[in-house]
Amino acid sequence: MYRCCRVEGCPLSDAELMERARQGNVAAFEELVRRYEQIAFRTALLVCGDADEARDAAQEGFVRAWRALPTFRGGAEPRPWMLRIVANAARNRRRGSSRQAALGLRLAEDPLSGGAAPSPEGSILAQERREALLAAIGRLSTDDRLVIGLRWFVDMDEAGMAAVLNVARGTVKSRLSRAMARLRTEVDTDV
Amino acid sequence: MSDRYDPALEAALSDLGAAIRFPSTPPLAAGIAAYLVAQPRAGWRPRFGSLQRSLVLAVVGLLAVGGIAGAIGIGIGAIQIRFADGTPLPTPLASVANRGYGTQTTLAQAQASVPFAIRLPAGTELGPPEGVFLADVPTGGTVTLVWGELVVTQFSAEIGPEAFEKMVTAGTRVEPVSVNGRAGWWVEGGTHAFFYRDEDGNFVDTTLRLVTSALIWEEGGLALRVEGAPSLEAALRVAASLE
Repeated sequence: MYRCCRVEGCPLSDAELMERARQGNVAAFEELVRRYEQIAFRTALLVCGDADEARDAAQEGFVRAWRALPTFRGGAEPRPWMLRIVANAARNRRRGSSRQAALGLRLAEDPLSGGAAPSPEGSILAQERREALLAAIGRLSTDDRLVIGLRWFVDMDEAGMAAVLNVARGTVKSRLSRAMARLRTEVDTDV
Repeated sequence: MSDRYDPALEAALSDLGAAIRFPSTPPLAAGIAAYLVAQPRAGWRPRFGSLQRSLVLAVVGLLAVGGIAGAIGIGIGAIQIRFADGTPLPTPLASVANRGYGTQTTLAQAQASVPFAIRLPAGTELGPPEGVFLADVPTGGTVTLVWGELVVTQFSAEIGPEAFEKMVTAGTRVEPVSVNGRAGWWVEGGTHAFFYRDEDGNFVDTTLRLVTSALIWEEGGLALRVEGAPSLEAALRVAASLE
């Protein structure tokens, strides 16, 4: 997120860009899209489970956000507002499909180790644990997968999660807690 | 955010998060900008003025029209009625399924998903609803029951900072009425749209839609709305039958 900077040449803040976009400035909106496109795409991917569908949902969401700019309340954070619209676009796409979305996520072949280099056997075991955990997440409901994915894979803050999940901020914790409990059950069942 | 959870599972998820590889993000910004430049805004066009200013101006216009209730922000609990003369409203959607009522489901599934008892008409010719829809906004969810053009919507009136909001334009009659002994509003004529406003005060565009004449009231902790009844009397009969 960019902070407000009044020195010539400094990038405009998100709020300043939003204000310009609300006046019809497409270039300002384009810059906002550029800043949010990665997290928007990843959020849509968590909902849709397919990269092409997530790209289309993100595009659709941004266009709808442009059309809804007059409803944006001045002084609010643009990012959660835009992500909510993108997430809604992704959800609407999913509603058109009767099948459960694939998880759409892959593990890196050689993930970074947080500590000392593990033994080859340790690396294999760690990767197997990750694959088992990812598979357990894949068996959860779309809502549970989304809340866990937003928290742990997209590293989204609470305001963003509340926006994407369409719930009050206080509800985010309880949603996450319940999703984690169900994930724990899935993991334990797998053992 | 994570203090109350499962430390071992959190550690595993943190490790997994570091190992996840998302597909490359496709470049979206330039394409969207090109599209926006090429496509003149259509449908519900952005307004580039202050919403509050529009409302004040609208109320001035409404007060000049005889027989129309004129007040800013009248409403019942979770539903606020605001006047928006001059505000472009969306094009009506012909298909019930596309009006933004949410996901179509069964009555049993809807009941299992909301914390309140769904009220159904009794003693009328309506019978079971032809369609049941469930939306996840506001908090607690919204259930919409459909019989042809007649639509009954219900959601918890205790929705905190969120709100449903009805925007009406000049030409719309907003009449205070008594519904089952409680204060309510009959909104008729003109064009009026129904919005959901989130806790930050922003409209959520997916629930924006036009509605037909509507009876709105709050009863027993529920906000209720009957749309599409041919008259106030018919809407009141439906309201009285709900139990």
